[in-house]
Amino acid sequence: MVSEETIKKLVGHEFPGGEYTIEHWENFLLTECTGADLMQDNVVHPVALFHVPILGCNTTISELFELGHAESEASIMIESYEWDMFQPLKEDTPYKATGKITEADRRRGEAGNSYDRIQCCF
Amino acid sequence: MQVKVGDEIPQWEMKSVSAQRMATMAAILRDPNPLHWDRDVVNNTLGIGRRTINQGPLGLSYMINMLHCWSGENSIRRIKMGFPMPLVLDGDYVVAKGVVTAVSQEEQGQLVECDIWLDKEGLKLLDGTATVLLPA
Repeated sequence: MVSEETIKKLVGHEFPGGEYTIEHWENFLLTECTGADLMQDNVVHPVALFHVPILGCNTTISELFELGHAESEASIMIESYEWDMFQPLKEDTPYKATGKITEADRRRGEAGNSYDRIQCCF
Repeated sequence: MQVKVGDEIPQWEMKSVSAQRMATMAAILRDPNPLHWDRDVVNNTLGIGRRTINQGPLGLSYMINMLHCWSGENSIRRIKMGFPMPLVLDGDYVVAKGVVTAVSQEEQGQLVECDIWLDKEGLKLLDGTATVLLPA
């Protein structure tokens, strides 16, 4: 396990940023995975708000794991999301994305285990 | 539609969580975590049998589907979601549920606050809140 200082220094890390376009095939498969029908007017299923900001920022889930010095892919858990939706996402529309790490610290779980908590804002 | 505090949102059922959908989702998310697509890794790592673990976003998507069926597409304004017990496995029967906790009248319609959760045999696997706008 890396030092707590190493984890704390992640605060302020900015992802490269960039652009992402959700194509029809991706929305089709994504929506099918949720068990719903495609939304009307080429609107993208809102669950895309998980991966579109990450990939749009030119980073990946793997890179997030590496940044957090995860001991294994199986050691990662999602704590929470907060999503504000101002407009529906649409297919074939380029979206610009920016993001950074806003919190990073070491915590102790109820079972006495230590874990690192990293919060990103996209 | 007029709603009031305490109204229950009609539930949305996922009758059998699908390993194939998890695998497709992993590819879309570029998520390398084998717990979502390799049954042997799940069994060897966690000892819970050869059943893959559903992605958190997919569990959340069931609640989004519930809200869409109730309040219409594009009605969701905000979602806060926690993952206290995110162990949804392939083959599981899970149910998205919700209840209205606050209602305010806005220019565009009713702004409705809801508690939402994903239920498996009485356990809340995912738990959060949603704000939806019901047009006037």
